[in-house]
Amino acid sequence: MRVTQSLNQLNFISAMTTLERNLSQTQNQIATNLSFTTPSQNPVAAGEVNNYNQALSQSQQYDTNANSAQGRLSIEDNAMSQVQSALQSLRTLALQANSGTQSDQNRAAIATQATQIQASLVSLANTQDGNGEYIFGGFSTQTPPFALSATGATYSGDQGQRLVQIAAGRTIPDSDNGAAVFNSIKTGNGTFTATAGAGNTGGGVLGTTTVSNPAAYDGKPFSIQFAVTTAPLTGVVTTTYTILDSTGTVVTPGAPYTSGQAISYDGLQVTLSGQPAAGDTFNVAPSTNQSLFTTVQNLVTALQTGTGSTGAQAKLNNSVNAAINNIDQALDHTSTVRSDIGGRLNAITTQLSVSGSQQIQLKSSISTLQSLDYASAITTLNEQNTTMSAAMQAYTLTQGLSLFKFL
Amino acid sequence: MSDLFGISVGALQAFQAALNVTSNNIANANTPGYAKETVELTAAKPQSNGSVTMGNGVTVVGISRSFSQATANQLNTSQSALGQLNALQSYSSQIDNLVGTTAGGLSTALQNFYGAWSDVANNPASTATRQALLGKAQSVAASLQSNSTQLDALNGDINGRITSDVQQINTLATSISSLNKQIVVSTAQAGGQAPNELIDQRDQLVSNLSKLTGISTTLDSNGALNVFVGNGQPLVLQGSTTSLTTVANQFDASQLEISTSTSNGNVISGAITSGDLGGLLAARSQVINPAKNQLGQIATALSQTVNQQQNAGLDLTGQLGANLFSVAAPLATASTKNTGGATAAVSVTNIGALTTNDYLLSYQGGAYSLTNAADGSTVPFSGNGTVATPLTADGLSIVLSATPATGDKFLIRPTVQAAGSFSVLLSNPSKIAAAGAVQATPAAGNTGSAAISSGTVVNAANPNLLATTTLTFTTATTYSINGAGSFAYTPGGNITQNGWQVQISGTPAAGDTFTVKSNAGGTGDNRNALLSANLQSIPVLQNGTASVSSAVSALVTGIGSQAEQINTAQTAQAAVNTQAVNDQQSVSGVNLDEEAAHLLQWQQAYQAAAKALQIGSSLFQSLLTAVQAV
Repeated sequence: MRVTQSLNQLNFISAMTTLERNLSQTQNQIATNLSFTTPSQNPVAAGEVNNYNQALSQSQQYDTNANSAQGRLSIEDNAMSQVQSALQSLRTLALQANSGTQSDQNRAAIATQATQIQASLVSLANTQDGNGEYIFGGFSTQTPPFALSATGATYSGDQGQRLVQIAAGRTIPDSDNGAAVFNSIKTGNGTFTATAGAGNTGGGVLGTTTVSNPAAYDGKPFSIQFAVTTAPLTGVVTTTYTILDSTGTVVTPGAPYTSGQAISYDGLQVTLSGQPAAGDTFNVAPSTNQSLFTTVQNLVTALQTGTGSTGAQAKLNNSVNAAINNIDQALDHTSTVRSDIGGRLNAITTQLSVSGSQQIQLKSSISTLQSLDYASAITTLNEQNTTMSAAMQAYTLTQGLSLFKFL
Repeated sequence: MSDLFGISVGALQAFQAALNVTSNNIANANTPGYAKETVELTAAKPQSNGSVTMGNGVTVVGISRSFSQATANQLNTSQSALGQLNALQSYSSQIDNLVGTTAGGLSTALQNFYGAWSDVANNPASTATRQALLGKAQSVAASLQSNSTQLDALNGDINGRITSDVQQINTLATSISSLNKQIVVSTAQAGGQAPNELIDQRDQLVSNLSKLTGISTTLDSNGALNVFVGNGQPLVLQGSTTSLTTVANQFDASQLEISTSTSNGNVISGAITSGDLGGLLAARSQVINPAKNQLGQIATALSQTVNQQQNAGLDLTGQLGANLFSVAAPLATASTKNTGGATAAVSVTNIGALTTNDYLLSYQGGAYSLTNAADGSTVPFSGNGTVATPLTADGLSIVLSATPATGDKFLIRPTVQAAGSFSVLLSNPSKIAAAGAVQATPAAGNTGSAAISSGTVVNAANPNLLATTTLTFTTATTYSINGAGSFAYTPGGNITQNGWQVQISGTPAAGDTFTVKSNAGGTGDNRNALLSANLQSIPVLQNGTASVSSAVSALVTGIGSQAEQINTAQTAQAAVNTQAVNDQQSVSGVNLDEEAAHLLQWQQAYQAAAKALQIGSSLFQSLLTAVQAV
């Protein structure tokens, strides 16, 4: 093939352009520590890096979410622990007041303390988070959810429960609404509740109540009615009780009563002590939900009522016992709520550590795809450098060759 | 004796001519298009004096060009192909740089936008997080708009280059035709001897033309060259030219097409597939418009999904959420050649079926036909184009304002405008719908253990969505809705009413009631914000296989792959072209060493001939002296 001088020049120039472009690309890679700066240099990796970056930013966002939930849950947990201690104090006060040695004045003083605790409970139920939102308001987080009322406290929040996304497909509640925490506490022993009739005049006081045979319990209420007869000849006083089922039908007629005796029916057991008067009734009904604040209010009302007679003393004891039962239920419920919160906090901690390692993994994948292999880049740079200087040298050498020099 | 003089003088003249040709070659060693010339010598007609035939010196019969039509054609073809790829590559690499590894910032903007929804979900009542979300929404819009603006700028640039290419082609064609005239005349005058320099010039012009557009040529017997473009449209015929012009696309005045006359009836753009012009047209149809459509598809999907979620939630004022984003509807343009006055209105009805294609709707013989505008393939559709039964195809709904005239055509570009028109409608942070629309609550006095789910929106368009509805259990196993009807209770089963859906589970007691009502006041609710944040990973595009985010990654990969492929093709073609240049130069180029040798060769020959003349002269002198002595 004939080669001409002008073609030589042309080819050299185009070769230099290519060499310089490659050299500049390698230089750019080294300067930016990126193995590609435009998608065309590695289209598949460019798309994947995008996906990984999206996953990374999503995972970091989940961490932000988890931290925010952690904050709210910690505030809630703190509030609940204070509720627990307030309930413990109330229980102690109730036990004190229940003793027969307390005077009405003492009880009134205890009632005042209980009222104060009630106020502090309401303020705990109106706890706000760092953003000023009421934690126990459900979705209504801008107004205080609880307000004291004559029968306890009214709830103006709703039953919403906010969820926070802490991982793909995984949400956890970052709070509990006040209705679930403070208003849905079972009365009595959690299954049923025994109450003294409002018109009782005797000294019958309700003791422990248990479910002795859960299989036999049909969930229906029944009542126990007392009759007191004095034998005309001997003058012996006999107390008997009759159990009526929910329809008013007598199911256990005139059984003899002794103080401290357990009365069983329907798989349930109720212990009664003291001497009931004729016509006194005790009602057994399935537990219902009652507000914690109502429980406290009932206790305060009972403590403020004077105890002039046996009947009044028994009434006080029954009311205070019922309050203690309800406080115990509330304590149970509070522990459940707290362990639930603890579970969520644990889940968050676990998730944060999982997502931490996930993020390390993602970052390393991104780096594998995107970061420059310096060793190979510098080798390439050296090669390109060598090629370029060789090409330049060859050019100057061949340019010296011309027949005209010898003419 | 006179023979000797004659032969010597003839040789001197021939060698002088040879030296002239050689120095002309040296002079034109770097002239583009110059073909090396060689003097053609031949022994002069011999003289016969009866018994002896004696040579009569040398004569110049012509000066020939070292030229091969085959290699020249090869070079022209390769230059056309390279010209096309160079133009294509210049645009694909611009988009490659512009879109970059983050889709022009879109990828990051989207991540931030969805992240901001999560922040709102974490703190739904805060104006600050809502304001931040609006800011991130603005960034998404800005990124989409700027991408689209830059693509539009490239299209504008292409129009400018098309116009200038067409002007250059016309100038070259005129020059070729005038050279044709001169060559025909001077060939005839020189008795068939072609004027080399004029032919060199013409070949160079043809070569320049081949860089602008693919051409084919034929050589007439009188020496004139005919040049054809596209599918054989004549550009130069003998001494006359047909000018090319630019006309507006029949559907889109912003896109220039190439025509052989001023009417757009003779548009030949489709036939121009190589050269710079072919590259410009290809860059527009294969690189820029598809990228714009893809961006538009992302913008449409983003806007539709976010707006739908907005509409299904309540804002801080307790109203159903208003649209956050707005995008332009699909663009449907009637051809300027339509004879009827019908217009088409197109809307996107199914984002999953929406493609990035453009469609051509034609009305012929009382029936519509729909084709893919890029490849002409038939697209199945249903309906008749009326409001009652619109034409539906690929997630689009097309309504014609009237029955078009036969032969009328409409170009439908579903997503071309979406990215450019993408904007944020809301400026008031309280208008962000972070809360769920409805709230379901059990009545406080319920004695059963049944619980109700918080309620989800299944049809935000239901006018009674926010109306208060009471579900009352008439027995433990049946319930009524607002006191009417009696429905069997299935624990955990869906109860759907007024566009919402709830589930009741557990054991209800007779008389238990549940209320579903507007969630107004639920400012701490984040259900809708959570759903919005999750839109990031919900595959809504391509029949539920791609999410908005993954579509962005696919866009990056797609543009990168295309640029890579064009770069590779361009590099390969450049190598082919170098080879073609080498081949052509190998035939026609001037080698200076060769010419130096020739120079010496002819110099020596000239000196020898001069010596022969001198000897002839001295012979003559000897004769004269001898004659004088006598």
